[in-house]
Amino acid sequence: MNPLLASFVPESRDLLQTATAGLLRLERDAHDGAQVKELINEVFRAVHTIKGSSGLFDAAALTRLVHGAEDLLGEVRAGRLGLTSDMVDRLLDALDQVGVWVDALEQHECLPDDAEAAGSGLVAGLRALLPARDGGAGGPAAAGGGARADWLSWLTEAERLAVSRRLGDGAAVVAIRYTPDEGCFYRGEDPLHLLRQLPELLVLHIAPRTPWPPAGEFDPYRCNLVFHALAAVPHDVAAHLFRYVADQAEIVPLAPDALLEPDVADDAPAVLLPCLLAEQRRILALPAEDAEEMRRRIAVVAGALGNLLHGADLPVSQAEFDAAVSHALDTGRAAPLLALLDHLERPAVAAAPEAATRPATRVLKVDQERVDRLMNLIGELVVSKNALPFLARRAEQVHGSREMSREIKDQYAVIDRLAQEMQGAIMQVRMIPVSEVFARFPRLVRDLARKLDKPIALVIAGEDTAADKTIIESLGDPLLHIVRNAIDHGIEPGPQRAAAGKPGGATLRLSARQEGDQVVIEVEDDGRGIDPVRMRRSAVDKGLLDAGQAGRLSDQDAVNLIFRAGFSTAAAISDLSGRGVGMDVVRTTIDRLGGTIGVASVVGRGTSVRLSLPLSMAITRVMTVEAGGTQFGIPMELIAETVRLDPRRVRTIKHAQTFVLRDEVVPLRRLADLLGMATPPPDADAHHAVLVVRVGGAVIGLVVDRFREGMDVILKPMDGVLAGLRGYAGTALLGDGSVLLVLDLKELL
Amino acid sequence: MPLRADGEVLHLEAECGVEEALALLEQLAVPLPPTVDLRACTHVHTALVQVLTACRPRAVIPPDDTFLARWLMPLLQAPPA
Repeated sequence: MNPLLASFVPESRDLLQTATAGLLRLERDAHDGAQVKELINEVFRAVHTIKGSSGLFDAAALTRLVHGAEDLLGEVRAGRLGLTSDMVDRLLDALDQVGVWVDALEQHECLPDDAEAAGSGLVAGLRALLPARDGGAGGPAAAGGGARADWLSWLTEAERLAVSRRLGDGAAVVAIRYTPDEGCFYRGEDPLHLLRQLPELLVLHIAPRTPWPPAGEFDPYRCNLVFHALAAVPHDVAAHLFRYVADQAEIVPLAPDALLEPDVADDAPAVLLPCLLAEQRRILALPAEDAEEMRRRIAVVAGALGNLLHGADLPVSQAEFDAAVSHALDTGRAAPLLALLDHLERPAVAAAPEAATRPATRVLKVDQERVDRLMNLIGELVVSKNALPFLARRAEQVHGSREMSREIKDQYAVIDRLAQEMQGAIMQVRMIPVSEVFARFPRLVRDLARKLDKPIALVIAGEDTAADKTIIESLGDPLLHIVRNAIDHGIEPGPQRAAAGKPGGATLRLSARQEGDQVVIEVEDDGRGIDPVRMRRSAVDKGLLDAGQAGRLSDQDAVNLIFRAGFSTAAAISDLSGRGVGMDVVRTTIDRLGGTIGVASVVGRGTSVRLSLPLSMAITRVMTVEAGGTQFGIPMELIAETVRLDPRRVRTIKHAQTFVLRDEVVPLRRLADLLGMATPPPDADAHHAVLVVRVGGAVIGLVVDRFREGMDVILKPMDGVLAGLRGYAGTALLGDGSVLLVLDLKELL
Repeated sequence: MPLRADGEVLHLEAECGVEEALALLEQLAVPLPPTVDLRACTHVHTALVQVLTACRPRAVIPPDDTFLARWLMPLLQAPPA
């Protein structure tokens, strides 16, 4: 992809996110004046930046649409228009469309064919909200006829004449001081190009704001220029041209007499004073033949300073000055006067170095593939590192060198520590905050709440909690479904809430926190809750359970029925949650991520759905076992315990073998049989090695040939032709170079 | 290519956009910067103006474009501050 486009796509997504979040916040808490101003500026800037960058690509419809949004926002920003929910709706629709187009640009590098048609409708909708333009009534206050920019004093005589002549002809002239923001180039602005569009440019001075730094530190992308211009255009034309950089440009209409009597005296001291002071300092610093000559010089400087003291407004009192002069003359030394000069020059000096201490945020945007590659390389490093203990053993056993073996082990310890730290570090890189998925909910909840006419306040907590990118990204859909369910089924319509004595506005709480090596996400609503009685009845009606089974269910088990496939209690299937995707799908997704889901509900008080997921999936702890002569890995979190079982304790019930473990009947399966391996019948007298595992709530004993050690492995999912193979979670490379197959017991049993 | 080096002369041609700034800086931030020929240049991005002002090419051949010739050249020819 075109590299510019490649950076435009993620950047626009971020900006769209900023703009959407800003709009929602504006709508929700639009009372604090200062905050509103800041928010609207933020939204405006985001939209403006998208517009600016989009111009680089073949995406005219997109540019037009954001332009429409920007114009509307501009009116709001200028205070000429109040922000209404209707306006927010339209703006959000426009931003959504832009998001769709950005996706299209990413995939096809061009907009879809219907973009023009889709865009023009939205633009028309936005334009309809703009106030009708009333012939220039919103013009500027022409600043009492005497307005003039202070920099006019440095016009050359020829320029002054030319401008005066235009003013004399009755033309409107504006003075513009345009100080582009340092980062303006990053927003696609070209100040010079903007000025080029000024019709009737009479004067343009371009100057650096601060002296250029030495070549090594010079950053061409940090704008350090200031533009002064005079143009024979009406103020509103100039203001329109500079509307996107209104905060960076001062535009003053020039009064007709502004240039007739250039009043140099006003400005002169400001310019001359530093020069005069510097000159006095130079005189005092000249080498003097004797004290008499020094005194003469002091007298001269004192005279000059005395004049300045009267003429200009110096921050020194007459008494202070007199004291310094007499002290200098008495001693024949310049020090008192130099101190006075220091005092006079200081304000000018103090102002300068501020710009240098600008804090810079250093964030690197890296393609995920590169991080994944790093992760894979570290994984391989971990694996090759695991070969060292094998090597140490060989050194000792084969070559008989115990010392060599110990040295290898020492080195191994160092490499092991480094590899673990690297692993930890790269894991940190892959961690992203849950705010990435939470971010879409304010918008979703707002839209659903408006659609269903249920006022809902969304409370988000712990959005900084971080977890592995894979986990966070796969959370989106399950959470979406849970939240939709809560709003659609959980939260009652207003009248019902009022009847139940609840506040009219419902609260939906979305929270995340870390618990050990798990991230826990909860979705709580204060709605009607899940009624176990209705659940039982519904399960029987749908033929999932018979009446007897249903009656034996505990209340919690009845509530858990929502996770059963084919279960939906909603009386009418709405377009929100009843889309054939039930909570069973949510549960499957969470299971696949190695997490758990639970629901707690109190009738009339609300429901809370709790997801618990591992923080990181990159490293899996497995136990290795041997079955049918082959090694297999079994994820440690499934294993309850390991048991040596006397064959005489095995009971056969019908055809199923079982054994009793602490007063509980546990079914017994042979792993080799499950995997369809041909194995000789086990020695009748030998004890069985039984791995007791807990899969989906059920306890099962797995007979294996032998237990081996537990280890941390980087699990790589089966891909390619092997992807369809059931029963395996993936493969891992062992230290001796062999491949370990890791079983997926949920699929196998 | 808006930036074309030809021996001791660096030609800036047509519309010179912001993406040329680093290339231009590279050409000019040398002990003996080349002469810059702006004749065929129709517009220079402000970022390039900064490079030209900060790095001081040996000489600048004025652009044919009237806007640039009139308003930009004084800046490029002004004695160093």
